[in-house]
Amino acid sequence: MTNGPPADKNGNETGKKARFPSLAPVHSLLAGWTGLALWLLLLLLLALYPYTGVSSLALLVGSQIFVLVTLASNWNLIGGMTGYVDFGHAVFFGVGAYIMAILVTGAPLLISPQWGFWQALPASGAAAALFALLIGLPTLRLKGPYFSIAMLGTLVAMREIVRVSRPITGGGIGLNLPPVLNRIGDYYLMLAIMGLVVSLIWWIQRSEFGQSLIAIREDEVGAEMRGINTTLHKIAAFMIAAFFTGVVGGFWAWQNTFIDPDGVFVETRTVEMVMMSMLGGLGTVWGPPLGAVAIYLLQNLLWSNLFEWHLLALGLLLVLIVLFMPEGILGTLGDRSSTSLGRLLARFGRNR
Amino acid sequence: MDQLSQALVSGLLLGGFYAIMVLGFSVIWGVMGVINLAHGEFLMIGAYLAWGLFRFFGIDPFASLALILPLMFLVGYLLQITLINRIVERPHLMTLLVTFGVSIALANLAKIVFTSDPRNVAVAYSGSFQFAGVTFPIVKTIIFAAALLIMGGLHLFLQRSRLGKSIRAAAQNKTAARIVGVDINRVYAITAGICIALTAAAGAMLSPTQAIFPFMGPPFTLKAVTITALGGLGRIPGALMGGLVLGVTEIFVATYVAGIGTNLGVATSFILLVLILVVRPQGLMGGLRPVDAEAD
Repeated sequence: MTNGPPADKNGNETGKKARFPSLAPVHSLLAGWTGLALWLLLLLLLALYPYTGVSSLALLVGSQIFVLVTLASNWNLIGGMTGYVDFGHAVFFGVGAYIMAILVTGAPLLISPQWGFWQALPASGAAAALFALLIGLPTLRLKGPYFSIAMLGTLVAMREIVRVSRPITGGGIGLNLPPVLNRIGDYYLMLAIMGLVVSLIWWIQRSEFGQSLIAIREDEVGAEMRGINTTLHKIAAFMIAAFFTGVVGGFWAWQNTFIDPDGVFVETRTVEMVMMSMLGGLGTVWGPPLGAVAIYLLQNLLWSNLFEWHLLALGLLLVLIVLFMPEGILGTLGDRSSTSLGRLLARFGRNR
Repeated sequence: MDQLSQALVSGLLLGGFYAIMVLGFSVIWGVMGVINLAHGEFLMIGAYLAWGLFRFFGIDPFASLALILPLMFLVGYLLQITLINRIVERPHLMTLLVTFGVSIALANLAKIVFTSDPRNVAVAYSGSFQFAGVTFPIVKTIIFAAALLIMGGLHLFLQRSRLGKSIRAAAQNKTAARIVGVDINRVYAITAGICIALTAAAGAMLSPTQAIFPFMGPPFTLKAVTITALGGLGRIPGALMGGLVLGVTEIFVATYVAGIGTNLGVATSFILLVLILVVRPQGLMGGLRPVDAEAD
């Protein structure tokens, strides 16, 4: 139990050999307690980082990277581990952002005039989780591409609904939040949320709950026959992922001080989550954070050099990753079948 | 009564456009099992091409089809042989991701080339005429007629011509088609070419009726999925039926639900889609490809 990724417990990894065999022990170490220890060490270092006297810009960049890591890890829980590829996950981000904005600006329909940030933050997560429950009950019954499209539809439909419900959401004009500049607070808050989420994913991966999710991904009917309550597990994973995405959305609205339907309910944000998870390694614990950092660096490189072209490049990059590196960084360097797409490819290969 | 018949006619005219819009999507899905998430973006490109030809050369959007169809056939053909044929036999997830990436790239390319200002194609005949107390917008009526014409032509092509038969063979049983000597990759490329060309043509015909902007695509992709779920995969009568149902539903919602206008078109079709998929996962008319196809 102390070493080896949980996926190895089945012992039938007869797929492709790792391309870098010498890295395999490193890979399996990372999946166990050593990985968590290293992660906590990294968190500690990041917590000490502001004491080195850095600029407020560096703190902003830090909190932005933490946002991306959290989003990617959340998406990975439903998209990578459970195998339900969610093309509309940004909807939970948007719901969280709007709940935060509505609560702190005291929009007309509310009885209580204004909420503080600290009451509104868990509320935005809870609202996103509730929304996930409502939307997941029908959509999680759909399989494969139908689920993906239904979620994409949720995203586009929510954008329309929010734009139309003008009295509550401010319509297309959007909402302005009170500007509060607290870079150091933002940094530590996102660091804490990120630390919590990634550790939670690590724990889920090892727990019975996580193993059930992986079983659902690999063979849903089989999992059900083994006595796993698949609906309950899927909904639970969906709600956990939505909760933290909503919290991040709320935080983002607070930090950004302005939101509108086109700014939060955007497909691009979903693409980012998908890409970060894919680039790192779909369905692994450490892949999405790795991918998030890589994409952030890449984006900043693109952003500074070819500002207008950066979203175009993002789309093309997604195509390239799928074509040439579907197993992600972790799958390419280490055990190919530790990522969900690697397993899928090993099983189905070219013949269908 | 007057309002009812007007809403019905508007819905049917909109449905005719939806039917021609969905054809390319439905046939690509039916023939090669690829859900083309970049569908709406090809429609957007067609609309921009029509706008450009109208604005700079004064070519009527319907006349410009003569240029747009072959051009976009080539685009679809090349896209298929360079990109989609590589992954068409891989798990569904990969084709979804690739077409999603293509859609993001195309929308942002359009934003760079055309900026995000909305464009309009103001044709001279943009008015409407009265018939039996009901208003018929001229452009939409032409689109409806063109839709019927194109659908008839495509139906004949698929049923009668040798190429159409090999496309249907590839859709029914790929292995068997290979055995009898159908070059699957070539057939797929031609299918993609035809479908992309049709989608762009739909966009070109749409251009006189609404504003053109780079991010107009996703709602159309979503509506295409809904219509396909309504009418079945790769079936031309099904596409017509599904398009008409969605068009009429949308106009009725817009007419009879107060204070909404046409702003909730996507939400309407989304609710319709989820209802259909949950109640009848095989689609309303049956024939949606079972998702576990990748496992056998």
